[in-house]
Amino acid sequence: MSEGYARENELVSVESNVYDRAMDVGIALSIVTFVVGMLTFADAVPLGATGTELINFFGLLLAATAGGVGIVAVFSYANVVPVTSQRVRGVAFGLLVGLVGLTVAAVALPVSLATMLGLILLVEAGLLAAGGVASRLELVDTDPSRTAGLLAGLAFGVIGAITGAVIVGSLPGVPSAVVGVPLWLLGAVALGVGFGALTIGPREDLGSTLPPALILGVFGATIATAAIGVGWQWAPENLSGGFTGGSIIPLFVLFGSLLTSWSAAKCRADFGARGRQYGAFFVINLNAFLMVAVMVAIVTYVTVKGVSWAFHGFTIGALSLLVVLTPPLVLTIQYARAPAGTDEWHTAARQFFRVIPLAAVGSLATLLLGIFVTGTTFEVPYQYAILVDRSTVMLDTAVSVTPSLQVGNLLVIVSGALLFTYFLRRYGSLRDVGTEYEQLSSVRQGLPAAIGLLGLLSLVYIGIGPVLDGLPIGIGVATLGAVAVAALALAPLGPLVTGEGSLADRAHRNSQLLNVGLLGGVALLTAVVVFEWTAVSNPRLGPVAPVGVVAVIAALASTCAAGLASRARRATDDTLRHRILGDQVTLGLAAAAGYLTLIGLHVAATSEVPFVLGPIEIGIQGSLSWPAVLQGAIPLGEAPGGIYPAIVGTIWIVIGASLFAVPLGLGAAVFLTEYAEQGRFTEVVETATNALWSTPSIVFGLFGAAFLIPRLGDNLSLLAAQLTLSFMLLPLVVITSREAIKSVPDEYRDASAALGVDKWKTIRSVVIPAAMPGVVTGVILGVGRIAGETAPLILVLGSEINATNAIDVLGGFAFTTSPPFVTNDALLTSSAALPTQVWAIITAGVSGSASKGWATAFMLLVVVLSFYAVGITARTYFRRKINYE
Amino acid sequence: MNNQIGDTDTETDTNVSTDSGTDSGLGATAGVETSTTTTAGESEEQVRDEWTDYRFDGPSKLTVENLDVWYGDDHALKDVSMEIPEKSVTALIGPSGCGKSTYLRCLNRMNDRIKAARIDGSVELDGMEIYDPNTNLVELRKRIGMVFQSPNPFPKSIRDNISYGPRKHGEINKGLLARLFGNDDSEKEAELVERSLRQAALWDEVQDRLDDNALGLSGGQQQRLCIARCLAVDPEVILMDEPASALDPIATSKIEDLVTELAKDYTVVIVTHNMQQAARISDQTAVFLTGGELVEYDDTDKIFENPESQRVEDYITGKFG
Repeated sequence: MSEGYARENELVSVESNVYDRAMDVGIALSIVTFVVGMLTFADAVPLGATGTELINFFGLLLAATAGGVGIVAVFSYANVVPVTSQRVRGVAFGLLVGLVGLTVAAVALPVSLATMLGLILLVEAGLLAAGGVASRLELVDTDPSRTAGLLAGLAFGVIGAITGAVIVGSLPGVPSAVVGVPLWLLGAVALGVGFGALTIGPREDLGSTLPPALILGVFGATIATAAIGVGWQWAPENLSGGFTGGSIIPLFVLFGSLLTSWSAAKCRADFGARGRQYGAFFVINLNAFLMVAVMVAIVTYVTVKGVSWAFHGFTIGALSLLVVLTPPLVLTIQYARAPAGTDEWHTAARQFFRVIPLAAVGSLATLLLGIFVTGTTFEVPYQYAILVDRSTVMLDTAVSVTPSLQVGNLLVIVSGALLFTYFLRRYGSLRDVGTEYEQLSSVRQGLPAAIGLLGLLSLVYIGIGPVLDGLPIGIGVATLGAVAVAALALAPLGPLVTGEGSLADRAHRNSQLLNVGLLGGVALLTAVVVFEWTAVSNPRLGPVAPVGVVAVIAALASTCAAGLASRARRATDDTLRHRILGDQVTLGLAAAAGYLTLIGLHVAATSEVPFVLGPIEIGIQGSLSWPAVLQGAIPLGEAPGGIYPAIVGTIWIVIGASLFAVPLGLGAAVFLTEYAEQGRFTEVVETATNALWSTPSIVFGLFGAAFLIPRLGDNLSLLAAQLTLSFMLLPLVVITSREAIKSVPDEYRDASAALGVDKWKTIRSVVIPAAMPGVVTGVILGVGRIAGETAPLILVLGSEINATNAIDVLGGFAFTTSPPFVTNDALLTSSAALPTQVWAIITAGVSGSASKGWATAFMLLVVVLSFYAVGITARTYFRRKINYE
Repeated sequence: MNNQIGDTDTETDTNVSTDSGTDSGLGATAGVETSTTTTAGESEEQVRDEWTDYRFDGPSKLTVENLDVWYGDDHALKDVSMEIPEKSVTALIGPSGCGKSTYLRCLNRMNDRIKAARIDGSVELDGMEIYDPNTNLVELRKRIGMVFQSPNPFPKSIRDNISYGPRKHGEINKGLLARLFGNDDSEKEAELVERSLRQAALWDEVQDRLDDNALGLSGGQQQRLCIARCLAVDPEVILMDEPASALDPIATSKIEDLVTELAKDYTVVIVTHNMQQAARISDQTAVFLTGGELVEYDDTDKIFENPESQRVEDYITGKFG
């Protein structure tokens, strides 16, 4: 194949030859060994596996890979996801060949997994050496540089030195030192220099294949000959424990596979500049993959350990779950509706992918429907261990979905509000569309007045509620409001159903009616519900006022309006009208969601009395039962009890600390960046802030315990914890906000100044909005840190394990006529918190149940991730706002 | 259209400026001789007062006298005196670094925002000194608007960009309270937005997407939006700092048409690198040359056809710069 430099003139080398294929197999083998190394390191597969177990393991790997490669190949062949790169195809081919070979070897050779891994490393070494030599003898066309480079030389020198030290140091029967120089040092120098020279000296093809081949050979031989086998142990004298083959072999394999991937990739891309690029690509990717794997492993580990206790006795009604499922359902529908790319034939395939999430959520919803139609309970029973009186007890429990038609109002409110906001954001505008009737504009002007009047009346009730108890004002006003809402909601339906012209004509003409009727109805009903809440003390409005019924009717009417508009939209071809009718549909759906939310709020406002509609019941008490998360600890009880107090405590700590730190930090950042003269002073402040951010948290804790607590009632308290953590959060908020404000382009400030707008207004309406994503990023990072902070909390908040009652911060507020006018005892008492509870359970030893600790850690993870989710949503929102999306 | 022929009408006016010109001339002559590292190819000559002594009919909108600007130790603008007539287009041309942008930014005190800048001299708007220590900067910049070199709309909707100035000045009130009490100025805002966008010749292109983010517009549209934003605060003078330098020829010609149109109602002062542009759109032209001195100021036709200064002729014919 030595055609000289014929290929140098070719820009595209499509055909792969045997050499390329062999190197692809090498790369694929390194990937396989990398994965197997990780699996064995995590003890997912025993290193000593032999016979059937080993065959099954490799068979499983082969099946999974064949499946993955097969699917991609089918899609590639069908031109849906075309894979045209020879290298990618080569690696896929290599994976198949390698795994088939390994499975055959597992059947043919009676060895353990460890030995097998050693053999693989030896094979890889052989491949690399063969590749390098073939290139050097110019049997293949490659493009090597003169040398592999100083950096590679240094790296292999260091590796060689370590290998030399270990090998020479562990050789039996040799003196430990010659003429005062330790022998291991001699070995290290000899091998280090040797490897370095071997890398730098020869041409690149040899220099970057032979040293890794040698090292792989050493590793492979050590493992394959069981010099370091599964049972091998090394217990250094000054360590209480020791190292075992079980942990050393996977490390050798992981390291060896990184080396192989680098070297084989270099060979595959013909050395030179392309080779270096391809080699680095593989090493960096496997490295990144390793990092991700570590993080995933941590989260998975905590989840697996904690989930059984956290979901003890979890029960939920099918209807509640369906309510929870509605927002995802709407989202997946929207996703499936979105355009699917090009108009070529494989658009169908893309459409298919877009429909998959909808199908998944939809089938789940159907399952739930099935549960309450058939009335059977869906149950997943499982067992887990807890510690009772120092002995392990197995608990039987189950996660179940019951056919209950009860729904808690909170679920309705959250789902409804989510949908309402979603639709309202998608809704564009119906301004100046259709006919503006005279009566309509008077309604439009009257509505704010009515809402304002209701608000005023609510304030009156808050102030002198009991005085008005005897009068039938409350019930009269609420009924009147409800009737008005019903009229508003039903009004748009009339012209839609009857009238002149086509449905689309009528819908278009009555846009304003729809707009006022739907949005006005929701607004008015909101005011009525708020009024109900203030007037609820007496007379009881809940069961009497037709608010709930009206909300249901209005929701149905809005859905009907949306349906009719959608039908009209389908029948129209005119682009503008199409858009207007689309907006009408969205508006109708938004109003329906809004009315549903109001049913939930209505129940919340009139408390205790559930809203009943046929078999469906929306009440304060839903059908969700989640003891671990929604209950406190049960003293001396049978059931394991929950960690609700700790969750609430952590949430309040984070909210309180953010409330203190974010405004202060943002204000300081604005002053330092916009107002203060940039110079010595700002430099000093910046350095001090950075130093404060790296101050150990226990120092903050000591400060809180020694300075804050004596001044805040001399008691471990929630307030002290919030303040202490806010001091920790403050520097990060200042640093990130400053960076964000600095990165706002000066053009905005110039433009604003040139319009004659003063500095403060410019900062408020241009600079801070543009800096908001950066500020939010800082808060997200900071909240992540303080939510899990343990050391300072132990000092200022204490560490309770079995809290039975959650702290009630909102209910703790009391207003008095004498100073200090506002008191809150809840803030001044101690509370449980998730991190301190984990710590307490660990230190409590035998009296604490490990599974509870894991569940607490799991919930801490969930709480922190939820805060992240909120923060990331906020950031996305602000980004969208300033970018043109 | 306004040159020496009609100077009898405004005798007093021009006399004053001539006097001040003479005063400044002495200082300028002294300055020129000692400093100036000239751009390659620029010949040495003395600036004469009569070159910058431009007389015109009608009132002058801006009167600049003996204006000096230093950036630290760098004397960026040397003893500039000129009068800018009302409702006309005045072009400022000259090679890079000659101080024309600095001069422009002096006219609405934008140079105050540069800490290192020190300004000495007098600028009067309708006879009122703007460098008075008690000047109301908000009012000043409302009356003298500015359009920058690169389009710089705010990352807000088109509507909000236009109504930004009036809203911040309290002329349009759209807050929650205003809406609750029914005195919300949406109508007024809509009118203002439409009027400004029409004046800036942008209305037809954006009227159905006023709520879209302004950053989604093309460069030329963004620049016209910036002009509309400037018009929304109802200025008397509009300063433009190379408004078309970042735009393609079509967008540039739109901006040029717009400038000509605006000169009917506003006093426009425009900095440009493009001499054809200056010749096309301006009524009078001021030439700044290296070292921050105003070399010649006269009718545009005069400057481009028969300049007094050899250096100006060299510059205009492209021998240097």
